[in-house]
Amino acid sequence: MPRTSIIIPTFNRPQLLPRAVESARAAGKDVEIIVVDDASVDETASVCSELNGVKYIRLEHNQGVAGARNVGILASTSEYIAFLDDDDLRLPGSLDQQSELLAANPDIGFVCGAMLLADQEYTLTGDISVPPQGHGDRFWELLELDFPVMPLCVLIRKECFMKVGLLNSRLRGIDDWDILVRIAELYPVLVLADPVGIYRQPTVSSGQGSSSQASQLYHALAHQRQLFQLPRVQLATRAQRRRARRRTVNRVADTLLWNAAGLVRERAFNSAVTNVITALRLNPLRALRPHALKKLDQLLVGARF
Amino acid sequence: MLTSIIITTHNRPHLLARAIESARLAGTAIELIVVDDASADETASVCRALPGIKYVRLERNQQVAGARNIGLLASSGRYVTFLDDDDLRLPRSLDEQVQLLDTNEQAGLVYGQAVVRDDSTERVYPLCWVQGDVFWKLVVQNFVPCGSVVFRRSCLDRVGLLDSYLAGLDDWDLWVRIASLYPVIALEKPVMIWRRSTPVSEQGTSLAASIVSRAVQQFQSSWMKLPRAVSGTAEMRRIAWQQFSANMAAHLIWETIRSLNHRDAWQAARNISTVGRVGPVAVARLVKQHLQLRTSERNVF
Repeated sequence: MPRTSIIIPTFNRPQLLPRAVESARAAGKDVEIIVVDDASVDETASVCSELNGVKYIRLEHNQGVAGARNVGILASTSEYIAFLDDDDLRLPGSLDQQSELLAANPDIGFVCGAMLLADQEYTLTGDISVPPQGHGDRFWELLELDFPVMPLCVLIRKECFMKVGLLNSRLRGIDDWDILVRIAELYPVLVLADPVGIYRQPTVSSGQGSSSQASQLYHALAHQRQLFQLPRVQLATRAQRRRARRRTVNRVADTLLWNAAGLVRERAFNSAVTNVITALRLNPLRALRPHALKKLDQLLVGARF
Repeated sequence: MLTSIIITTHNRPHLLARAIESARLAGTAIELIVVDDASADETASVCRALPGIKYVRLERNQQVAGARNIGLLASSGRYVTFLDDDDLRLPRSLDEQVQLLDTNEQAGLVYGQAVVRDDSTERVYPLCWVQGDVFWKLVVQNFVPCGSVVFRRSCLDRVGLLDSYLAGLDDWDLWVRIASLYPVIALEKPVMIWRRSTPVSEQGTSLAASIVSRAVQQFQSSWMKLPRAVSGTAEMRRIAWQQFSANMAAHLIWETIRSLNHRDAWQAARNISTVGRVGPVAVARLVKQHLQLRTSERNVF
């Protein structure tokens, strides 16, 4: 029985998929690779039949990323679960490193690492996204969207799903955040400083979702109210809950504003306007305070010269 | 071939033991999975005392569909069946159904009849059974009692898991998706006892109005978008919608009468307001049929 399963949901991207599968193969010695084809309508099926040593699952009805991940979890036979999108890459040896940490720390729910950022051609930009270091309870940070982590960098103990349930297939784009919050509510988390994966950053033209960042964050804020029903939040005082909510809203408003500056640089004016409007709707006073405007101006000036 | 019986339970330890015993007698090669959906009472200690079951305890409530999905994750049988904690399986009923699946390799699921037990009455459901390609009949009405179904686990790799958002109709949704790809077998005899709830027993029928709203949404945005439905003619989809909305309207009116009988005016009002949204046309058609029936009766006498 393999120790780690890596689940790769894919939809209509046969040209990118083999590269992701190869990276998964190099990521660990004892790894079960599960490709879940979410009812692709192109040559994905024939591309997959040429891949060796891969468990290929073909869904006939499109389930969305979370639904496909759930089917992958059901098909897996190992103790630890990793997720990989069909356009991202895992670094060599990274799964072995993470699974050893999970084996050595039986109380840990999941272990996450840092990730390298790349452009659409997989060229590294030189940036690295490192989650705040430390071992232990990260529930509140995750809940407040203050813990940057992508599913790509995480290895989860399968047993956790038996306690908190599977991914919520109705939460498009934020199902991964939701499950990590639910796991972190009950389990401590281990954070690695080493990079474990390469994230292919979406651009406005790639239609991959950065343009919809505003709507996704807005969606996340709405869903946070449901996550507030978790017992740990309910046991907190009302003031604590209110502070947590306010911090999240402010953080989202700031992120949207800074990213609006980046979008202006990319000449994606529509998305930039959407970001600014959403930020204003969330907290008009914060978006218009002198410090925010100054920072925005700096970003824009930096872009021009 | 191993069959997994997945029993989901929440705060009903007094009923659970009976359901488990009935499941134990239902078949020979079985695996019993009990998923405790974060019960807050002595369910855990009751389950730990029972030998020969696999007990999975969810720490956070996931509703029936989410708990069934976890049961699937914990199970390993080639065939799967769900049992609610207040229902009972009839002795040896599983063996017969499993044999049917063994001999019909193409079939995705086999269902049987349920003995429906009300407070005072007892009847068998469904009375007419259909087999083979049942997709267009199944989207119109759920004639499959959930606990009577035994399905092939491999179906899930093609249609996906239960949708936990669809409380109260997650099972129907799964049968529709399976029936869109696989033939279905009917076993013409009772295989289970189904305790039908009264509105006061707070078992979920009181939510009739919201279940119907969700079913309408699911019918339009999901079932009619399945490759199988899309490949049918527009006429087939139109007729299916007509029959579906008529069924939903009739169901709501029936539930309204039940609520009124139990003196629950609030539920009755909610149901009636939903009827209007679901299909005023369907209601008009029902009334028309009813009136025609009346006049033809009068002509007879």
